[in-house]
Amino acid sequence: MDSLIIKDLKANVDKIKKQMPCNYAVDYEIRGDFKDGYITLDKKTIKFRISISGIEEYREEKDLTLKKKTGLKTIIRISKIEDIEPISVAEFRVGKRKLKEVTTFEKAERTSIKITKKREYSSNIDKPSMELMNKFNEKGVKIPLDSATRLLQLKETKGVKYYNKVVDTLVTEIKRRQVDPYEAVGIIAAQSIGEPGTQMTMRTFHFAGVREVNVTLGLPRLIEIVDARRTPSTPTMTIYLKSEFEKDESITSRVVKEIENTSIIDICDIETDVEDMTLTIIPIKERLKERMVTLPDIIDALGREKGITILPEESKGRVIVKPQQDSYKRLYATQERLKTLTIKGISGIKRAISRKQNDGSWIIYTQGSNLKEVLELDEVDSSRTFTNDIVEIGQVLGIEAARNAILNEARRTLEEQGLEVDQRHLMLVADMMSFEGSIRAVGRQGISGKKSSVLARAAFEITTKHLLRAGLMGESDSLTGVAENIIVGQPITLGTGAIHLVYKRNEPAKQVQ
Amino acid sequence: MSKFNVLHHELVPEHHVVEIKEEEKVLNALGITKDSLPKISRNDAALKTLEEMHGKIEAGRIIKIVRKSSTLGFTEYYRVVSNEVFK
Repeated sequence: MDSLIIKDLKANVDKIKKQMPCNYAVDYEIRGDFKDGYITLDKKTIKFRISISGIEEYREEKDLTLKKKTGLKTIIRISKIEDIEPISVAEFRVGKRKLKEVTTFEKAERTSIKITKKREYSSNIDKPSMELMNKFNEKGVKIPLDSATRLLQLKETKGVKYYNKVVDTLVTEIKRRQVDPYEAVGIIAAQSIGEPGTQMTMRTFHFAGVREVNVTLGLPRLIEIVDARRTPSTPTMTIYLKSEFEKDESITSRVVKEIENTSIIDICDIETDVEDMTLTIIPIKERLKERMVTLPDIIDALGREKGITILPEESKGRVIVKPQQDSYKRLYATQERLKTLTIKGISGIKRAISRKQNDGSWIIYTQGSNLKEVLELDEVDSSRTFTNDIVEIGQVLGIEAARNAILNEARRTLEEQGLEVDQRHLMLVADMMSFEGSIRAVGRQGISGKKSSVLARAAFEITTKHLLRAGLMGESDSLTGVAENIIVGQPITLGTGAIHLVYKRNEPAKQVQ
Repeated sequence: MSKFNVLHHELVPEHHVVEIKEEEKVLNALGITKDSLPKISRNDAALKTLEEMHGKIEAGRIIKIVRKSSTLGFTEYYRVVSNEVFK
């Protein structure tokens, strides 16, 4: 069911709100039957939803409560208007094309899926393993799933008596190895990551087994992860196709071509005619075929550009473009602009390469990343596809996904270098970086800069700035952390220093003579 | 809503909204107050998808997250909905 999307001014929306229901006249023709519509103020985001009870041709004698201007053509009867949470016009589709912006009005269908609950992890586990995990839980320790499965195998092969002994030993051993209260886990994590970090090659550029896709690895990548850079130096995506398509080579190569960003310069020659002040765009046939673009696609893309007149010569297989103003400067500027005009593909993805796995399925690797738009493709498996841009994952999939992404990326980078770092340290780093609900870097800008204690911040970096600011604002310091207690010369609140001991004095026993 | 379900992605763990009457129980078990819980911003993608199912989730509500962990099997984690916007 199509909906009507109108671009309008804030003032008009306010007027509609005051006089509802109302007849609203517009200066363009709308055909068709609409039940509902949306109003956008800035062409890109939709803020209001309207219920339409009728659309008819404009008649002068009709009683109108709202008019826009002269040259009116259609009357829309609006029966209800409501504020909605802002949604992007990109959620609407005209046929198969995604809506990019609404300049006057647009007839489009909202693409939506029914949101269903995620299947609970516990429902995927077989009953005996679950029971075993619960049994450990009751004893106050937790074990992972693969350990539970191994224990159950042991029960089969070695007998119940042996198995019981192992379970008991496990419980005591895990308890013995747990972190003690007030242990400085942060310091231990910092050392455990830092020490193997010194073993890393300073600069590694690795061709991760794929042609031409170059990925930053090693120390630069690890620094990038903990710095929470807005965009990594080599953003790449790993795209999985839905299980029904992933073994099909032709579908894979079609998806590759669909996502690869193709601009005019990739497939056409541009000739400048200085005498006539025109640009001739001559598509190269082989490249058109290779990138699966047709001449009408190019004309369509050119049609969305402003300030040019297009004269298609389809019989000769070329397009002539004329800037609306005759000047050499304009001609040159137009040529430069048209070179990078996107004809098809997803913006941000420079290259895409497919690679066959050992099991016969295909995976697509890309240079450049645009997670949101790739996940919306029909063939793409939207549950496995990911990018190495952590902040982008945070924006598209939420903070918890970003936390998992930090963990996975850091682990992969370290494993790549053959370094073993206990996962729990990386988990701590990931948890701290995602604590505030958005990704914060480790360092002055992020975690350390946001500490609540003035002295701890001053001890870290930019001492004077923090002290001066604290003085001006009248901040106080409760001396609960480590750094501030060292500064004032008190025992730190860690380990034994965190525990207050009170000596209970008994009456001195009579000395034996 | 977009064409894919954020909650079904491998990287996204289970998100559950904690009932208001259960909140106190959760906080007592952890021995902390609400403002020392980790936060989840109100425009978080996973939270937005949860809202599609549960209706508006106000700031201050607690979200229970069940993570799959390679060291502990499953762990429960709690985040409180904050007013800040994800940057």
